[in-house]
Amino acid sequence: MAPDGLLFVAGMNHRTAPVAMREQLAFEEEKIREILADLSGRGLLQEVMILSTCNRVEVYGVAAVPGEARSQAFSRLGSHRGVAWRELEPLLYTATGDEAALHAFRVAASLDSMVLGEPQILGQVKDAFALAQSAGTAGPVLHALMSHAFSAAKRVRSETLVGRLAVSISYAAVELARRIFEGLEGKAVLLVGAGEMSELAARHLIDHGALPIYVANRTWSRAQELARGLGGVPVPFDQLEATLARVDIVITSTAAPEPVVTAAQVRAALHARRGRPLFFIDIAVPRNVEPAVNDLEGAFCYDIDDLRAVVESNLKERQREAQRAQVLLEREVDKFAGRLQQLEVVPTIVSLREKLEAIRRAELERALARLPGAAEDTRRVMDALSQAIVNKVLHAPMVKLKDSSRAGHGRRWTEMISELFGLRGSGPGPSE
Amino acid sequence: MNAVLFDVALTAYILAAVAAIASLAGRRDQLAWIALLLTQAGWICHTGAVILRGIELRRLPVTTLAEMVSLLIWAVILLDFWVERHRRVRPLAAFVLPVVLALGLGLPTGLRSIVLEPPAPSGWIVVHVALVLVGLAALVLNFGGALMYLLVERQLKTKRPGTAYYRLPPLEALDRLTIATLTVAFPFLTVGLALGALSARGAWGSVVTFDPLALFSLVMWVIYATTLLGRVLGHWRGRRAAYFSIAGFCAMLVTLSAGVFLHGHHGS
Repeated sequence: MAPDGLLFVAGMNHRTAPVAMREQLAFEEEKIREILADLSGRGLLQEVMILSTCNRVEVYGVAAVPGEARSQAFSRLGSHRGVAWRELEPLLYTATGDEAALHAFRVAASLDSMVLGEPQILGQVKDAFALAQSAGTAGPVLHALMSHAFSAAKRVRSETLVGRLAVSISYAAVELARRIFEGLEGKAVLLVGAGEMSELAARHLIDHGALPIYVANRTWSRAQELARGLGGVPVPFDQLEATLARVDIVITSTAAPEPVVTAAQVRAALHARRGRPLFFIDIAVPRNVEPAVNDLEGAFCYDIDDLRAVVESNLKERQREAQRAQVLLEREVDKFAGRLQQLEVVPTIVSLREKLEAIRRAELERALARLPGAAEDTRRVMDALSQAIVNKVLHAPMVKLKDSSRAGHGRRWTEMISELFGLRGSGPGPSE
Repeated sequence: MNAVLFDVALTAYILAAVAAIASLAGRRDQLAWIALLLTQAGWICHTGAVILRGIELRRLPVTTLAEMVSLLIWAVILLDFWVERHRRVRPLAAFVLPVVLALGLGLPTGLRSIVLEPPAPSGWIVVHVALVLVGLAALVLNFGGALMYLLVERQLKTKRPGTAYYRLPPLEALDRLTIATLTVAFPFLTVGLALGALSARGAWGSVVTFDPLALFSLVMWVIYATTLLGRVLGHWRGRRAAYFSIAGFCAMLVTLSAGVFLHGHHGS
C-alpha cells in the first residue's frame, strides 16, 4: 500500500445518466477484468474496482490524484465503446475520502438504488469486488472499504425496515399475514380460483412455511392441476364453506360476478374456529369476498386496492427508514475512517517489528555461538531476555503510532520512525 | 433515605417512559436504549430503596398501601424485563411504563407519611400481599398487551398502516401475551384475595364489613374471572378479550386509589 493514496469513487447512476449512456458502459466480466488490469498497469491507480450494473457504472479506487485517475478510468471505459471523455464528464459524480466511503456504504446498503432497499445490489457489489480481487487490483484500502460496506449493509438490513417492507402486491399479502399471525409455519391456506398473482402470493406463503395448501376451483380438473403445481390438496368447490373453518389464510381470484364468500359463511367459520383469526386476500375484480367480512371480529379482508395502498404506505415507510439507515451508515463511516488510519501505520509497525526481531535473532545466535557449552536453561533465559528487551523498546513507539493514527497524524510519525530505525526501502509493504 | 432513593428510581422511570414513547413514535433507536438503561438503573435504585426501607423501619416493607404499590411497580418492571427479553414482545415498556407512573406518582408522599404503631403483619397477611402483588404485576402487563393488541388490530382493520403496524408485534403474539399473563395472574390473585378475606375474618371480625379496597378488589376479580372464563369457554379472542382486560385494569386502578383515598381497614 502506498501511503499517498486517497480513496475516491467516480461514477454515473440512474439519476445522473440516461440509460442510453449507462448501457454503453455496461461491460461483461471478462472485459472489466481486462480494463482493471490495463488501468492498474498505467500507474495512476494504486487500487481499483469497477461496479457495473444496469443502474450504475462506478469506479472505486485509490490514487494520489483522484481527478486524473478518474478521467483516465472513464476515458478507458469510454474508448471501448467510442464515447469520448468530454461526453462522460458532465454525467459523473465524484467523492473522495469519507464521502467516498459513505457512498460505497449507501450503494451496498441499497440506499442509492432506484427501488430503495432492493436486495440485488449487495450481491452485485460483492461480485465487483471479487472480480477486482481476482484481477489483483484490490489492495488493503478497497479490502477494508468493502468488508466494512458489507457488514454495514447487513446491519441496515437487520436493524431497519428499508429492505424488508413489501413493495409488490403479492408480497404485501405475505407481510399482512405476518402482522396477523405469529409466523406462518403450519398456517393453512385456501386458494380459490386461479391467477398469476394469487398463485404467486400462495408461493410466497409456502416459502414462509404455510402448510397445507387447499385449492378450490369450479373446474375440478383445474383444481387438481393447480394443487399438483403447489404441492396442495384439491377441494371440491361446494365444500368451500366447510374448508373455511380449517384454514387461516384465504386467497380468492375467481372470475365470478357475485361474491363466492359471504359474510354469513365467514361468521359461521369464525364460530367454528373458536375465534382464531381468518385472513382474506381478495385479488379478484369484481370482488369475491363480501366487503362486510372485514367488519366481523377476527376476520381481516384485503382487496386489491387495499393491498396497493399497503404497498404505497410501505414505500413511504422505506423512505423514512432510509433516514435511520443513513444515520447508522454515517456512524459506520466514522469507524471505517479510524480503521483506515490504522491501516496507514500498520506497514510501519510490521516492518519495525520484523527489523528488531531480525537483529535479536542474529545477536542471540552470535552470543550463543560464543557459549558452546551453555546449558538449556541458560539458552532459554537469554532468549527470554532478548525478547523482553525488544518488546520493551518497541512498546512506546507502537503506542505512539497507534495513537497518532487515531489523531490523524499517522503519516508524520510513520515517516519519522522509518527514518530513525532505517526502515526506508526495507522492502515492500505487506501483501494481501 | 429510602424515600429519596425511591424518588431517584421514580425519576428514572419517568424519563424512561418519555424516552420509550419517543423512540416508538420518532423511530429513534438510541432512545430505546436510553429507555432500557434508565429503567434498569431505576429498578436497581428501587430495589435498594425497598431493602433500605426494611432496614430503616426494622420490618418488612409490605405494611402500608404505599409500600405495596411500590412493590407492585418493582414486580411489574421485573416482569417486563423478562417478557421483552424472552418473549420478544417489544416495546412493551412504552405501554407499561406510563402505567407505572400513574401508580407511582402518589407514592413519594405516601412513603414519607409516618405510620404510628404499624400493625405487625402476620405471616398470612404477608403471603396475601405477596400473592396479590404477583397477580397484579402480571395484570399490568396484561393491560399493556391488550392496549398494543387494540392498536395493531385497529390499523389492520382500517387498513391504514402506521407506527403500530410497522413497529409492534403481530396480533397473535399480543393475544398470546394477554392470555399468558391472565392465566398466570388469576390463580395468584384468587388465592391471594381469598387469604386476605380469611385473615380479615380474624382481624376485623367479619369478611363482609365495609372496606373499600376489599369491595373493589372483588369487582376487579369478577371482571378478570369473566375474561378468563370467556376465553376458556366462549373462545373469546382478540378484541373482546382486550376490552375486558382494559376494564379489569381500570377496576384495579380504582381499587388501589380507593385504598389510598377512602379510609378502610387497609389503612393508608
